[in-house]
Amino acid sequence: MNIEIKDLRYTYPTGLEAISGISLSIKAGEQVAIVGQNGAGKTTLVRHFNGLLQPTAGSVMIGDWETKKQSVAKLASRVGYVFQNPDEQLFSKDVITEITFGPKNLGYSKEKIDSLVGRALAFTELGDRAELNPYDLPPAWRKMVALASIIAMDTPIIIFDEPTTGQDSSNINRIANVIAKLRQEGKTVITITHDIDFCAENFERVIALSKGKVLLDGPARDVLGQEKVLAQTYVDPPQLTRLGKKLGLKETVRNQEEFLKAMK
Amino acid sequence: MRERLSFYIKRDSVLHRLNPLTKLTLTMALILIAFLSPWYWTPHFILLAAVLPLSFAGRVFPEFIKTALRLILPAATFLFLMQAIFQPVGETVIFKFYFLDVTRESLMFAFRNATRIFVMVSSFTLFLLTTHPSELMSDLSRRGLPGQFAYVIISTLQILPQIQAKAQTIIAAQRSRGLDTESTFFKRAGAIVPLVGPLVFGSFIEVEERAIAIEARGFTSKNLKTSLQEIADPSFERTVRWVLILLIIISALLNLWPS
Amino acid sequence: MAFVNLKNVTYKYPLTDKPALQNINLQIKEGEFVAIVGPNGAGKSTLCYTLAGFAPHFFKGELSGTVEVAGKISNQSTLDEWVLNVGLAFQNPFNQISGAKYTVFEEIAFGLENIGIPRDEMKKRVEDAMTLTGITDLADRSPYSLSGGQQQRVALTSILVMRPKLLVLDEPTSQMDPIGTREVFGTIRKMAEEGMTVVLVEHKVEWIAEFADRVIAMHNGQVLLEGNPSEVLTSNVLIKNGFGLSRYTSAAREAKKLGIWKKEKLPVTLDEAVEGFKK
Repeated sequence: MNIEIKDLRYTYPTGLEAISGISLSIKAGEQVAIVGQNGAGKTTLVRHFNGLLQPTAGSVMIGDWETKKQSVAKLASRVGYVFQNPDEQLFSKDVITEITFGPKNLGYSKEKIDSLVGRALAFTELGDRAELNPYDLPPAWRKMVALASIIAMDTPIIIFDEPTTGQDSSNINRIANVIAKLRQEGKTVITITHDIDFCAENFERVIALSKGKVLLDGPARDVLGQEKVLAQTYVDPPQLTRLGKKLGLKETVRNQEEFLKAMK
Repeated sequence: MRERLSFYIKRDSVLHRLNPLTKLTLTMALILIAFLSPWYWTPHFILLAAVLPLSFAGRVFPEFIKTALRLILPAATFLFLMQAIFQPVGETVIFKFYFLDVTRESLMFAFRNATRIFVMVSSFTLFLLTTHPSELMSDLSRRGLPGQFAYVIISTLQILPQIQAKAQTIIAAQRSRGLDTESTFFKRAGAIVPLVGPLVFGSFIEVEERAIAIEARGFTSKNLKTSLQEIADPSFERTVRWVLILLIIISALLNLWPS
Repeated sequence: MAFVNLKNVTYKYPLTDKPALQNINLQIKEGEFVAIVGPNGAGKSTLCYTLAGFAPHFFKGELSGTVEVAGKISNQSTLDEWVLNVGLAFQNPFNQISGAKYTVFEEIAFGLENIGIPRDEMKKRVEDAMTLTGITDLADRSPYSLSGGQQQRVALTSILVMRPKLLVLDEPTSQMDPIGTREVFGTIRKMAEEGMTVVLVEHKVEWIAEFADRVIAMHNGQVLLEGNPSEVLTSNVLIKNGFGLSRYTSAAREAKKLGIWKKEKLPVTLDEAVEGFKK
């Protein structure tokens, strides 16, 4: 399912213009990272994808639906959105009930719900915590529960807002695995992140926003190599990209594999 | 995103410049006199001759009227109807509503009580709109109110807009999970737990962390607190406060006077 | 005489069986910048709360051993005295806003009001602290209207303005953009050079190597390893126990197997990596 954004503008009721003319198209099955400084408009942009915000001007199409004409509850069947702070959505007595909430809202059959919940638990490695109360888990794991509760909705498009904040390296690896599995299933994954190394290792396409506009958009390799332009939106290139540049490698390398290959 | 999580609006006006305690006394006086004075037209008079002009003096009339109407008009209307219909006083029937008689007396009675409520909420709104919360806190604690107590009052005054902002995020998160909060009544009623749950559970964490954060900033320090704002309290304001208190007492006495 | 001295410190939260900290021994010199690393649940935050006096004064629970900061013993002090020496800022910035203040400027002054700093000095100190952390342009905004990253800067400034002798920071930049994070670490580094002792919990290893004097690696409530960043952050012990490594370290580790990295010691920072990979 494709996302088409045309001349999008958004102004908050306070008069602050957060999105100042963005046009984008994201194809089904793409893995896209959105980067940029605090206040660049990242969250404001993705909140348009599931109708939480309505354009001040321009339009957002999710497949054949224009977001303006659909309710958020309806768009939820196409776009899943994992919020940054899990404590703003968890309410159930145990993890499994929490994860069941989304698919149930979408009206799936019982068999389908069971299999989706099982899949989400397996993806996030929450299986042995399924019976616990989410609020008895440490914050980092509450975040995994929030993630699982959206994956279980089996939407063609999934948005993650800063999934790696406060996570240690094993949980970051778990999240990377989840994204890889979603990619295999052909889902579109859109992630807002400040973790540029995580971005380089897990995403094919990177969009850099600055002051409500698209600063750079393209294959990760092209975008992440542009140190000077990225600095305008307070982003550094990934560690190994910087290292490659300093060592005078001809190609921009994004991750360990590419780096080692180029060094041979 | 909301710019302000408090009712207060920063403007330069006579009302803004008054000492917070004077404003608090004035608010209490308007409310108490409206309720205590035996003269029928007192609440209406206070509303038109005091509260409304004060909102102009405070240069917050548009915000004042918006907040006041949204907050109280529904409640005051409800109260008016209930009392007008069910108050069994008077004989001058104006019209019949099924088996209920609406009399001139019950209408008058209801009208006054509705106005009293209006005076109460609108004076308080005006107070919040023109009083800087931390000035009020500093002034009250300077006058000997324990710091913790003052903090509880002030953070409670700010808590409504905070909860509102938090609730908006929670609603957004749950709607993103397919929760229907827009259609039928039954669907909306079923949406209560997912909306209230995070608000309550989340607030346990929030309260603990906030307690740590303010404690780390010397909240329970035994040192004498100081204040960032210089809060003027000229002697004439003290006189004004005493006059207001006197007026309250007179209204109370007149109310008790056997007529 | 160490400025921070932890001797055989074991701490258990109320209603739990397993201690969150087990037999911690730790000395920190005045003006030292110490970073703490470790997986989630290793006891990093509990160590922060212990240094800042909240364990046990706020959480209750059982503390054994001695926690000494600036010549005072935690168990023999009250929390309100303790926080005059030790400042604490933590991850979630929203919950650190006092809720009683209308602008960022007032929010930062809140702590100084509490401890009774005279008005003129207060204003000066707030202005200085805001300049230091680069938030002077936020002075008149409501703390609630800011982005997560900006709120984190306000939370940090609110504690810096108190001028604690020991500054304890638990992931203070998790919501900041990368260049913002670097600015803040630079500020903290500067504070340390001026004599403030700093303890910082951080997942981003490459920053630690660049800014901290010493690293403490925690695991299961215990200190697994401590020493200078370039040694600790490349040690095999960390790798075996599932700690995060800097990309330079992991890449060089693989390169070593392929014979591309020839040095014995692995790099942590960009400069070390450039130097080692150059032919």
